Amino acid sequence: MIGRLVHRYRWAVPYVLMAPGLLWLVAFFVVPMVPMILFSISEGTVNTGIVQPPDVWAIGNYPEVVVKFQDNVRNSLVFGALATTLCFAIGYPLAYAIAFRGGRYKNLLLFLVIAPFFTSFLIRTISWKVILGNDGPFLAVVRDALHLVPANFSVMGTPLAVVSGLTYQLLPFMVLPLYVSLEKVDIRFIEAARDLYAGPWRPRGTAIGAALGGALAIALMVGLRYADPGDPSGLVAAGGAALVGALLGGLVAHFLVTEAFVRVVFPLSLPGVFAASILTFIPAVGDYVNADLLGVSPNNQMIGNVIQNRYLFQTDYPVASALSFILMGAILLAIALYAKVLGTEELTGGRA
Amino acid sequence: MEELNTLSALQAPISRRRLLQGSAVAGAAAFLAACGGGGTATEEPTPGGSSTVGPTVEPTVAEVPIEGPLNFANWPAYIDLTEDETSSPTLEAFKAEYGIEVNYVEDIQANEDFVATITQALDAGLDTGWDLMVLTDYMAARLVRKGWLDEIDPANVPTAAANLRGALRGLAWDPDQKFHYPWQSGADGVGYNRVSTGRDLTSLGDLFDPAFAGKVTLLSGYQDSFAMIHLLLRQQGKLTTTPDQMTVADAQKIHDFLKPYVDSGHIRGFTGNEYLQDFGSGDTWVAIVWSGDLASSGGPDDRFVYASEGSIIWTDNMVIPKGAVHKRAAEAMIDWVYDVDRAAALANWIYYISPVAGVEEAILALDPEAGANPLLFPPAQVVEKQYAQPALSDEDDLAVSELASDLEGA
Repeated sequence: MIGRLVHRYRWAVPYVLMAPGLLWLVAFFVVPMVPMILFSISEGTVNTGIVQPPDVWAIGNYPEVVVKFQDNVRNSLVFGALATTLCFAIGYPLAYAIAFRGGRYKNLLLFLVIAPFFTSFLIRTISWKVILGNDGPFLAVVRDALHLVPANFSVMGTPLAVVSGLTYQLLPFMVLPLYVSLEKVDIRFIEAARDLYAGPWRPRGTAIGAALGGALAIALMVGLRYADPGDPSGLVAAGGAALVGALLGGLVAHFLVTEAFVRVVFPLSLPGVFAASILTFIPAVGDYVNADLLGVSPNNQMIGNVIQNRYLFQTDYPVASALSFILMGAILLAIALYAKVLGTEELTGGRA
Repeated sequence: MEELNTLSALQAPISRRRLLQGSAVAGAAAFLAACGGGGTATEEPTPGGSSTVGPTVEPTVAEVPIEGPLNFANWPAYIDLTEDETSSPTLEAFKAEYGIEVNYVEDIQANEDFVATITQALDAGLDTGWDLMVLTDYMAARLVRKGWLDEIDPANVPTAAANLRGALRGLAWDPDQKFHYPWQSGADGVGYNRVSTGRDLTSLGDLFDPAFAGKVTLLSGYQDSFAMIHLLLRQQGKLTTTPDQMTVADAQKIHDFLKPYVDSGHIRGFTGNEYLQDFGSGDTWVAIVWSGDLASSGGPDDRFVYASEGSIIWTDNMVIPKGAVHKRAAEAMIDWVYDVDRAAALANWIYYISPVAGVEEAILALDPEAGANPLLFPPAQVVEKQYAQPALSDEDDLAVSELASDLEGA
């Protein structure tokens, strides 16, 4: 009886399966958007009284907040991009090693990657406060033992602290999707590539590795505000860092990267790279805990901090809502660009 | 924010501080548990609207029983502790006397931040979860104007009514103590770590010594920091008014003075009471701080000075939020801390200035050396350079808050 019914309405099955998810999204994503959009074009605060449409159409909120909080928007995008890049640089080799060399320790290694999630996110961020703090182990080595930095050097309260915290917290989001896509790669493809004379990736690879390493070093120096591009001494510092980065990148590419990896494994892992980057970048851009607890300084506050502050403390809903939509728009734009660069086929998991 | 700060207990190396924070965490847990049970209490209509029990009503025949738990929100480093720092004598004695629990939570790091957490409940006419909270004058006055406080029944606070210092009576925002009784008074000054700075500091100008770049914090909001920098600029001849007369134009000048120091990173950040942790970890060397904290809860090398340019005085007040479930217990607590001997013991531990008349003699009886303590007994040359916090209209308050918010980066 039921079997016959199901058979008769087979066309409806996908909709039934999708219904819980769609209803959930409508109730908790679409519906709250409506008052948020209205707030974003309103005026006033809860303390002074909010004037909403149709009494006022404060579309001007949008350009106003972008100009007013441009530093926060910049911080969000820069810190988010740097944290994602660092996660990738650390996470890809890790995922690769687990997928291809993990052997019987694969499950244990994967467990270790997600193990930090068993502790509260706040506790972990506060532990970073201890690690990077003035009396913490990091400065004890770098400042007190090695004398690499001056006595009043701080990590807490700098962009470095924020990006470090973000990188640490989001690493599992990078590693897991990468692992899944690398794990699927058929090892026989690599053997076939080797049979077809895919050897070490040099000299071209050495040059590409050096270029990437140098670029990452410059991005870190400028993004973390250790080098001001408008200032001659900043250029020297950035140049020095670029040399070190290029050397490291060149060495890695020269000795560790093979042509089989570049031509076969990496293209096959692109869907994972795309998913992992997005899963890392979005929470990184919207984060406010790291900037609050580790960033401390007004100069390091991200867009999430402004939204939090405006919503919860100043009860300035219009500004907070407008900023939320701008953040959403910026993230969508960034993802669209990224998808364009990687090729849309990879978005849906198509094979290269 | 409050949870974040409470959890920072992990990193504080100062023993007294750590225990303080630990007890706050325990208190918060107890408080949450109480909230769970409290749900049923709020469903019943409050008998007879406790706020109407005022002086106009004849003494009630059946006394309202004192029921707990008393949910008491206060600032860190603002209560006395026993030798082993696991409990507070003042609170323990109160619990024993009335047989009720007290959920004492150090949840207030800054007036604005704390009030923001209860604004929506107050606006909606709901119970905030608190029965008693301690807010600085300007914020208490704002809550009175909003009608967000319950009236204190004078019949329930006879000791407080008798012992409140004359100078603290008759304030314009609550002349008859209908809504508030002061908890403690204190001053803003310069706090520093003697070992990190390598020298003794005396003035607000010392905050801007290039040697301390990146190790300086100010208090968030404008009430304390802007008022203090006002004194510095006044000394330099850039402002002619005093902080209590601060205008939006003055605030703009203060903002413009501070902005380069924020941009360059000289000023590391703006904090509430968290500066105690930052002094503990050595991340902050110099800061604008409240007078008693470092003495009661800082490290051995942390110092407080009244700046040579002058200082700002303020009073924090016990108030009962509208709809408090255990209002009668809150009144009992207000009355409890106004006993002269208890007030003396409390003030002598936290190093703030008690609002209780005659407490000086009681403190000296407890501790003859306290007479030389400038925190408890500010010297004449300090007192003559003390000013009240700015008093701005709602409109100007918004404008100056916006200036402060620009400096704070959010």
